[in-house]
Amino acid sequence: MIHLAKEDIKHTFGKFIVTAMGVGMLLGIVLIMIGVYRGMIVDAEVLLDDLAVDLWIVQENTLGPFAESSRVHEDLKNTIKAIEGIDKSEAITFQNIQLPRADKKVRVMAVGYDIFGEINPINPQRLIAGRTLKHDHYEIVVEEKTGFRLYDKIKLSRHYYTVVGVTHGAVSSGGDSLVYISLKDAQELQFSYSNKRIHSDRARGIYNKDSHMVNAVIATVKDGYSIDEIADTIQKWHHKSVYTKEEQKIVLTRNLIEKASKQIGLFTAILILVSTIIIALIIYTMTLEKMKEISIMKLIGLPNSTIIKMIVEETLLLGIFAFIFGNIFSHLIYSKFPKRVVLEIPDAWMLFAIIIIASILASFIGVKKVINADPTAAIGG
Amino acid sequence: MSAQQAIKVENLNKSFGSGDTFVDVIHDASFTIYKGELVALVAPSGAGKTTLLMMIGCVDTPVSGKIWIGDEKVYDNKWLTKTTRKIRREKLGFIFQAHYLIPFLNVIDNLVLLPQANKVDEKVAKTKARELLKYFDIAEKEKAMPSQLSGGQNQRVAIARALVNDPEIILADEPTAALDSARSIDVVKMLKKIAKEQNVAIVMVTHDERVLPYCDKIMKIENKKTVFEDVSAVK
Repeated sequence: MIHLAKEDIKHTFGKFIVTAMGVGMLLGIVLIMIGVYRGMIVDAEVLLDDLAVDLWIVQENTLGPFAESSRVHEDLKNTIKAIEGIDKSEAITFQNIQLPRADKKVRVMAVGYDIFGEINPINPQRLIAGRTLKHDHYEIVVEEKTGFRLYDKIKLSRHYYTVVGVTHGAVSSGGDSLVYISLKDAQELQFSYSNKRIHSDRARGIYNKDSHMVNAVIATVKDGYSIDEIADTIQKWHHKSVYTKEEQKIVLTRNLIEKASKQIGLFTAILILVSTIIIALIIYTMTLEKMKEISIMKLIGLPNSTIIKMIVEETLLLGIFAFIFGNIFSHLIYSKFPKRVVLEIPDAWMLFAIIIIASILASFIGVKKVINADPTAAIGG
Repeated sequence: MSAQQAIKVENLNKSFGSGDTFVDVIHDASFTIYKGELVALVAPSGAGKTTLLMMIGCVDTPVSGKIWIGDEKVYDNKWLTKTTRKIRREKLGFIFQAHYLIPFLNVIDNLVLLPQANKVDEKVAKTKARELLKYFDIAEKEKAMPSQLSGGQNQRVAIARALVNDPEIILADEPTAALDSARSIDVVKMLKKIAKEQNVAIVMVTHDERVLPYCDKIMKIENKKTVFEDVSAVK
């Protein structure tokens, strides 16, 4: 059985492969775009999963520290701890800060936690060097991408912090590296002002009363108790907004990265459309180059179905080869991106299905050319 | 034993356009060509040679008339089959001025392509193709690509392709136009031999008067009608 598509591709193999590689690079970028979106979701969930708490108690009528400004009193943790069914309860702060490095400043999210408390946000599996915080002041655990190493000194506000630990893969929902400092240091950084500012405030009769504020209180629930019921109780009697871990995930993935995901989705759709148009144009050009042969095939009596099969198979093979090259390309470059890129097999299969459909659609333009080809064009030189 | 009919045409008409642009090309053409004959179709440029060839080749549709391919009436003021391509595939062979082989298929695949479309078993088709390649003395070239063959070898493969589906008629459109005198005569002699040995009718459009003495019949288009001329007159 002669496979016309296979024989035609064999005849112009180099050209076909280079074309497939070109389209493949486009598809590789599509995969990377999807991977960036997946990376954003993974990043958004890193902190939540590392903390592994059941409840987030935040300022009333706010979505919590990841979505908007939230301030609650530090001692709220004791009130929460006293509720029946609560196992552990701790205060926690989050703030974006710039770590001064010799060459540039590095934007990070600082997590402040009580180092003598019951909940440690540092996932021991992420710790690749050093230790977690042991002293109440001026120690910091950094993420490796910040560029700092163990025992480096970092000046924050008025003090020097020593790097006592280095983690891997601890990032915020925005993709910034997470650093960990003690709650007291975090409160000082977040709520203490410079001497000049304090003097100015005092002259205005303003006194800083916020130094014992935190951004959220987190809590775990004992086995056998309903997380939702306890959340309702806190919401009703303590006038705070309460989110379960799943609800906090929704806040992060829907509210925070929704626009980014829409943007990426739109980019991806445009890239797929562009790829389809490019495949269609390539197939159209390939068909035009074969018009003489197609006219001869029609003249000697080959049915349209045989010729159309050749065009459709060539388009599908182009799509399949481009998909393979796209996968290779994306796997070669994804680690070079500054933010996390997560390449997942189901996404690749989804793209494969889209490319198959797109290739079939793209082949229509070549098929139309075949149907309209005049067999008499084969006659006469 | 009487000769078998290969093509019969009755009152065939073909015109183009209408009103001021009306052109009558073929008018009331009637003729019969028998198997085993090599017929040269001769006429000045624009007289309708290729149009007539395309009509009896079931490619172009006449305005009116009747056409038989073998004993089967295929046109009676309209095509009598759903698709004319099946008639071409099963009953006709085509030879062109250039070889027009499929450039991405090797010699044997170029030959097997049509029988495969006719659902002929691949082994049977290949055996037939190899017999023809042997007949044309190019058996050793069966795996070669057309670009690897000389012009003459390609022309022989093209003729073999025209024969591979055991056609009743071969329609040749100026097969000697690109050849020198000696080669032209060789090709026409070969076509005559094929017509006899394969019992097939060959209608050959030609401008080349040097090859006419080697044909069995000469059909001319005069005043939009077809007329046969005695071959001995051109010898």
